[in-house]
Formats: sequence, structure tokens, C-alpha cells
Amino acid sequence: MTSLAQRQAELVAALTAGAAVPPGFDARLVEVARVALLRKRAGEVARQWPELAQALGTGWYRQWSAWAATRPTRGSLRDGWDLARELAARRELPAGAGAELAAREAIMTYDGETPPRARRMPAVRGAAGSVVVQIAGRVRVLRRG
Amino acid sequence: MTIGYGVGIGWRPEIGGFVAQLPGLRFAEVVAESVHAHGDLPVGLGELRDRGVAVVPHGVRLSLGGAEPVEPARVTHLAAVAERLGAPLVSEHIAFVRAGGVEAGHLLPVPRSREAVDAVVANVKRTQAELSVPIALEPIAALFDWPDDELDEGAFLTEILERTDALLLLDVANVYANALNRGTDPLALLDRVPLERIAYVHVAGGAERDGIYHDTHTDAVPQPVLDLITELCSRHRPPALMLERDGDYPAAAELRAELDAIAAASGYPVVT
Repeated sequence: MTSLAQRQAELVAALTAGAAVPPGFDARLVEVARVALLRKRAGEVARQWPELAQALGTGWYRQWSAWAATRPTRGSLRDGWDLARELAARRELPAGAGAELAAREAIMTYDGETPPRARRMPAVRGAAGSVVVQIAGRVRVLRRG
Repeated sequence: MTIGYGVGIGWRPEIGGFVAQLPGLRFAEVVAESVHAHGDLPVGLGELRDRGVAVVPHGVRLSLGGAEPVEPARVTHLAAVAERLGAPLVSEHIAFVRAGGVEAGHLLPVPRSREAVDAVVANVKRTQAELSVPIALEPIAALFDWPDDELDEGAFLTEILERTDALLLLDVANVYANALNRGTDPLALLDRVPLERIAYVHVAGGAERDGIYHDTHTDAVPQPVLDLITELCSRHRPPALMLERDGDYPAAAELRAELDAIAAASGYPVVT
């Protein structure tokens, strides 16, 4: 028999990364839990990224769950950030969500791998037609997409 | 904790203004990870503490049920927050939230096996070694069970509490959800766990989706959960019972009505 640590890791992988449900579990109930978890994360990310969720409208949950189904959470700030960047790279970020992403990019540096850190220097950033300037931690939207 | 605090509420920034205006409030809980160990306290929380409300840090990320040892920095943070708030106790869950370096994003059940009991007990003891106040452990609502359960819920909890000397944080909504989803009697568990060890009680709402009851904390508290409070208090009334709401916050009148319903069900005075 494998160790408890191993079996806990297999269960987390099934719930967060699209791995197979470990043997012996009720696959239907684990699937219910997986979907409930995605829904809970969606709510948390929507609170952290309100313009992103609102701009995607009825497509928000579909976009979110397609993206998040195989990505374990790195916290709702980074989850929303990663998704917004990916949409921006595919030119699918709605204009209504541009200023929010640009503002985050202007306030913090984020390499996509380690937690975001506050910028010390002024910055100008743009996304989906919006342009934002940050000076001394204060943000001004220069243009809204 | 022998003082009767009565009806309390989970403090959240979104309802901080509402909580501040509850005249009779003597008990509140705050998510431990949302409080800085040394920086400013969230607005309103210090005021609550200063007016004599007991504020209990409630950890959600310790992962006491993980097979791996609890992370020392997380324990240190919990202990520091307890000291800052002058808390009479802290609480955490009998659950794991990460494994193999991956965050689950939610509280997951541990198997009710001897091996898992040993893991939980070891992590609780590691945590207690850093704390200057007691810890209360909360059994979670789980949508599924492990295939290798050896103990029933009552025996599992009792053994963990006895071996750690920890207090119990009983969530009546979790008891209700687990029983409803498994077709068992929620009252049966009340007869199987040491009720005199209850430090306080969580009360929360939920919703049914596809025939399964979800403990959402974003819906109204259903009547059967209130009935469970009355049943519990007729056996042994715990020192405090508190409403847990974590989103989709309703109007103040609705929150007040829920607090009053908890007071009515438990026999404690209203705090609104």
C-alpha cells in the first residue's frame, strides 16, 4: 500500500489537475467535489478581478473553468492574473477588463512564477486598449479600451 | 473556556460595519490567515477586541490532516495572531489543504484510519507546542469519503481529541450536511462525541445542487440546522455559537434575523 502522503497527493491531483480519481473513491462524488471547488475558486477570483469576470459576462464561468480545471490554485490574485494574461496574449481579453489588468501590471511586478511584488518605480502599462500609469503607488487610467 | 459568550459571528471585512454595531456581541472569529502577525490589524477588528469581544483566530491553511508535518511558519503566524488579538483560544480543521506541494484550494477530508489519526495527532501536538492558548479542532463537511476508513466519525474524533487534549469546534451545518448526504442521522453523532469538550459551534447556510447538499456559507441557514442547535443545547449547551457567512452577504436585517434565530434555538440572549 502506498503512503498516506502519496495518496493525498493523488487525490489533490484528481481534484485540481485533471488526474484520474484514485482507486476506491466514489468517482461521482469526487467529481461533484471537483466542480464545487472550481465554482468556489471562480467566486474568489471574481472578487479579486471584478472587471475581468464582469467583462466576460455569461462566458466568465466557462472561460474560467476551462482554464482552471488543470491548474491548481496559486491564490485568487495570481489565478486571475494568469488567466487575464493568457486571454490578452490570445487577443481575447475583453476591452472592459483591460484597465484592471494594466493597473495590476503597473502596480506590481509579476514574473508568473513567484508571488507579485510592489513596484518601487513608476510604470506605464497597457492591456486590451487601456493604458494606465502608476506613480508612487497611485494609479491613473490614461485611456480606457 | 467556561464563560458563556452566547451568540457570535464570523468577522469578515465586508460585514465589519454590521458586526461593529451589534450591541450584545461578546464573541467573534476571524480567519487567521487574513490578519497580519505584526502589521496593522484589519479596520474594525482592534475596536472589537478593545470593547471586550473575544476574537478567535480561525486557521484555514495549516493542513493539520496532511501526512507531511505542519509548516512551522504557519504555526508561528497563528500563535502570533492569537497573542495580538488576546484570543482565549484558536481553531483549525481536521482536514488537509495541500499535498505534494500542490494547493487543493479547499478543506479535504482525511481518511478515518489509524495512520491518519497518528498524522493529525502529531500535527496538532506540533501546533500546541507553539501556542499559549488552547486549540479547538473542527470536523469538516466532506462530499466524499476515503475507501480505507477504519473508524466511524465519532470514534475518529474522540480519539484525536483524547490524544491531543484539544477542544472541539463543532459545526452543526457540517454535521447536517454529512448526515444528509450519507443518509444517516445527524443526532447520532451528537451522542458519539464528547460534547463537554465543545469550545464553540459554527452555524452556516448551504444549498442543494443535483441532490447533494453543499455547505456553501453563502446561503441562508436552513431550519434543520437551527433544529440541530436546539437538540445540541438540550444535551449540553456550548459556551458560544456563531454564524459563519463567507460571501453573497445579505442585507443587515437578514443577518440580524439569522443571529436572532441562533439565539432562539440555543436559548442565549439576542445580541442584535
